[in-house]
Amino acid sequence: MKKKLLATLLAVALMATSLVGCGGKDDEGSKDSGNAGNTTNDGGSSDAGDTTPSGEKEDVALVMWGAEEHQTMLRTMADEFIAAYADQANITIDLGVQSEAGTKDTILTDPTAAADVFAFADDQINELVANKCLQPVVENTDAIIAANSAASIDAATVDGTLYAYPMTASNGYFMYYNKEYFTEEDVKTLDGMIAAAEAAGKQISMTVNDGWYLYSFFAGAGLTVGLEADGVTNYCTWNATDTAITGVDVANALLDICAKPGFAVLSDAEFATGVKDGSIIAGVNGTWNATTAQDAWGDNYAAVKLPTYTVAGQQAQMCSFAGFKLVGVSAYSEQPYWAMMLAEWITNETNQATRFDLTGEGPSNVNIAGTDKVLSAPAIAALASQASYATAQRVGGNYWSPAQTFGQNMADGNPNGEDLQTLLDTMVEGITAPVQ
Amino acid sequence: MKSIKNFFCSIGRFFKDFGVAVVKGDIWVKLSLLIMGAGYFGRKQYVKGVLMTALQAVIIAFTVLFGLPYIGKFDTLGDVQRESVYDPALRKNVVNDYDHSFKILLFGLISIIVIIVAVVIWIRNVVSVRKLQVLAENGKHINTFREDVREFRNGKFHITLLSLPVSGIVCFTIVPLLVIILVAFTSYNKTHMPPAELFTWVGFDNFEKMFSSSLTTTFNYSFGKVLSWTLIWAVAATATTYIGGILLSMFLNNSKTKLPKMWRTFFVIAIAVPQFVSLLLVRNFFADMGIVNTICNNLGITDFLKEIGWVRSSLDHIPFLTDPTWAKFTIIIINIWVGVPYLMLIATGVLMNIPTDLTEAARIDGANGFQIFRKITMPYMLFVTGPYLVTQFVGNINNFNVIYLLTNDVYITLDQKLANSTATEVDLLVTWLFKLTQNDYNYNMASVIGIMVFIICAVFTLVAFNFMIKGDREEDFQ
Repeated sequence: MKKKLLATLLAVALMATSLVGCGGKDDEGSKDSGNAGNTTNDGGSSDAGDTTPSGEKEDVALVMWGAEEHQTMLRTMADEFIAAYADQANITIDLGVQSEAGTKDTILTDPTAAADVFAFADDQINELVANKCLQPVVENTDAIIAANSAASIDAATVDGTLYAYPMTASNGYFMYYNKEYFTEEDVKTLDGMIAAAEAAGKQISMTVNDGWYLYSFFAGAGLTVGLEADGVTNYCTWNATDTAITGVDVANALLDICAKPGFAVLSDAEFATGVKDGSIIAGVNGTWNATTAQDAWGDNYAAVKLPTYTVAGQQAQMCSFAGFKLVGVSAYSEQPYWAMMLAEWITNETNQATRFDLTGEGPSNVNIAGTDKVLSAPAIAALASQASYATAQRVGGNYWSPAQTFGQNMADGNPNGEDLQTLLDTMVEGITAPVQ
Repeated sequence: MKSIKNFFCSIGRFFKDFGVAVVKGDIWVKLSLLIMGAGYFGRKQYVKGVLMTALQAVIIAFTVLFGLPYIGKFDTLGDVQRESVYDPALRKNVVNDYDHSFKILLFGLISIIVIIVAVVIWIRNVVSVRKLQVLAENGKHINTFREDVREFRNGKFHITLLSLPVSGIVCFTIVPLLVIILVAFTSYNKTHMPPAELFTWVGFDNFEKMFSSSLTTTFNYSFGKVLSWTLIWAVAATATTYIGGILLSMFLNNSKTKLPKMWRTFFVIAIAVPQFVSLLLVRNFFADMGIVNTICNNLGITDFLKEIGWVRSSLDHIPFLTDPTWAKFTIIIINIWVGVPYLMLIATGVLMNIPTDLTEAARIDGANGFQIFRKITMPYMLFVTGPYLVTQFVGNINNFNVIYLLTNDVYITLDQKLANSTATEVDLLVTWLFKLTQNDYNYNMASVIGIMVFIICAVFTLVAFNFMIKGDREEDFQ
C-alpha cells in the first residue's frame, strides 16, 4: 500500500513538474505577446473604441527592439519621449535586445509577437512587407520624407508606400586603406591597389564569397539582379551573353583578381585579424570594421569609394549595395499611433545627431548629414562619394546561397574546372528559382 | 501477427459489447445513450451520474462553442484573409474578422480528437451501464461511489498511475506530432504565413515536389546527395566510435597499463566539457587560418600533402573543413574524439563482466589475443551493447550538433546545384532541414523531410533490432 502511495505521489510529482515547466513557458509567451501588444487574433474584429484620441490620458505600453550596444542610448531616447508626451498619455516603454541584422528572422517566426517598434537593416524590408509585418507610415509621412535623404526614403518604400523610418545611411560598404602604402592614384583602380600591396608584400581583402560583395563586380559591369513585382522572387541577368560585358567576362575578371597574391578573400573576422597584425593594408568592408582599421592604422587610416576593376579590357566602376538602418512599426501593434510617434522620435533630427555622436553611424537626415562634423568623418565621406554607384539592396532570399557558392568558386580559382557559362547559368537558375 | 489479430479482435469486441448493450439494455441503459448519467441514476449511483452528465455537458459545450467553428473551416483552413486599415481618427488599426489557418489546423485537430475521445467514452459508458444492469438483475452488489473510488487504489491502480502520464503524452507529444505531420500536406511556407496569409491543404503535392525536383530547381539532386552522406556518416560515425571505444577500454583494462584510473579520468573530462564548446573550439583549431594549419605549415606537412596531390596546389593551407572530402574526414575524426569516451565507459563495464573462465579456457586451448577478441570479446560486446548500437546509429542520422557546429558559416559548397537548394556536401538531413526552415520558412517541406527521416530511422531501427538482438541468442553466452 505504502509503495503504491509512493508511486502515485511520484507520478503526480512528475506530471506536476512537467506541467509547471510548460506553464511557466506559457506564462512567458502570453506576457511576451501581451507586451508586444498584438491585436486579438481569432475574434479578429477591431478592438477600437475604448480609447479616444483626445480627452483623458490613455495608458500606453510599448516594446522597442534595438541592438545590444545601443540599449543605453535607446533608453535615454525613450525616456525623453515619455517626458515629451507626458501631457497626452501615460507611456511606458520596455526595451528588448535584437540585432538589426536578425530582426526579420525573429519577427517572421511569430509576427504577432513582434515588438511595437524595432530597428532593422533595409535589406529585410521586402520580406517584412511581403509578410505584412510592417505598419505603413501614415502619421507625419510628408515631414519624414522631407527630412531624410531621397535614397534612404527610397530604401524604406515598397510599391510607393513608406513602410519605415530611416535611421542611418552608413550601412553600406566602401574601401578603406592604409595611406602608408597607397598613393591617391593607386586607390582609383583595383589593379593599382593590388600592385601596390604586392610591392609591399601585403594583401588587400574583399569577401568575394558573399553575395553582398559579389554584387559589386556584376553591377559594375552593368548586369542586374533584383526583385520581381511579387517582392520575393528574383530576376538576374548575370549570365547574359548579349551585353557589352558578358557574365563570363566578369567571371574571368574575378578569377584574375582572386588569383593575384596581393588579393585575399577573407571573412569579416579574418579581415579584422589581418588588419591588426598588419598583413592586410586595405579592404572593402563596412563601418562596423572601420574602428578596427582606425585603431590599427591611426592617422594613416583613409577611406574612399570603391575603385574600378579591369573587365573585358576596360575599367568598370565597382558598384555597391547602399545600406540603411530603418525603424519599423509592427502591423500587429495595439498602439500603432504611439508606436509611430516613438519610431519617428528615435529617428528625428536631434536623435540622429545623438546617434552619430555616440556610435559614429552616418545619419540619413539631410540636415545632420550636411554638417561639417559628419562630412569630415572619412567613412561617411567615402560612402557619400560611393552613393552614386550604390543601389538599395533589393534581393530575395534565394539570392544568397547560389551567389555565395559562385563567389567561392571564383575565389578558389574554379578548382573543378567547370565551364563558366554553365556555372553562371546554374547560379542564375538558383537565384531566380520561384519562391513557393 | 498474433498481436495484430488480438488488436482487431479487441476492437470487434468493443463494438459487439456496445451493440449487445444497446439491444438488451433496459430503459436506463437506453436513456444513457442520450444522457450519459442516466444509467447511474437508475442504479442509485447519484454522484457518478452527476459527474458523467457534467462531463457530457462540458464536452458538448466545448464542441459547440469552441470546436465546431474550427472544424467547420478545417477542410479549407479558412478563406477570409486578414485586412488591416489604419484609422487616423481612432489612432487604431481596424482589422476584419479573418481566419488564422494555423489556429484552425491546431484547434480543429484538438476538437476532432476531443470528439473521438468523447465517442469512445460514450460507448464505454453505455457498456458499463449495461454491466450495472446485469449486476442488478442478478441481485449482486453494486458499488457505492466511495467503493468505486477505492477501486482506483486497488484493482484499477494501473489506471490511476498511468492516466496523468498518458494525458501528458497526448498533450505534449501526440498532438504536436500530428500537427507537424499535417503540415506536410499543406502549403504552409514563406509566402503563406498566418496571420497575414492563409494556407490550405495541397494533398501529396509536397511529397511529389520532393521527388520531382520542382521545389527548387535542384531539390531532388540535393536530397539524394544529402541522404547518401547522411547514411555514410551514420555508419562511419557509429562504427568508428564503437570500435575506438572498445579498443580504448581494452588498452585501459590491460594489466600492463600504468595508472589506468588517471587515463580514464582524462577521457571522462572530455565528456564533462559541453559538446558545443569543444566543437566550436575544434572548429577554430582546424580553420583555414587556424592553429593546426599554422603548425602543419611550419612542419612542412602542407607542402608534402600538396606534393602528393591531396591538397590543391593553389591553396596555402589544408582545407580541413572547407573541402568536401577533407571536411568529411575531419568531421568523422573529430566525432571519434567526441564520442569515444562514452563508448569507453560502457565498454569498460561490459568487458569487466566477461566471464574470465571463457577467456582462460580459450587461452589454454591455444587461442591468441586477436582470436579471443574476435571470437569472445566482440560477440559478447555486440550482444550486450546491440540496443545501444542501434540507438547510436539512429542518433547519428540525426546528429545535428557535430555537423552544424563544425560546418556552419565555415563550409561553403562549390557545387552550384547544391547551393541552389541551400544544401552542402556535409549537410545531414536534419541540418538541411534546419536551414530550410530557419532561413527559408519552408515549414511544409521541412515537415516532409521530417517524415522521411522518421521513416528511414524507423526502418533501420526495426530491421536492426530484429536481426541483431533476437532474444534467443542469450544461451550463446551461457
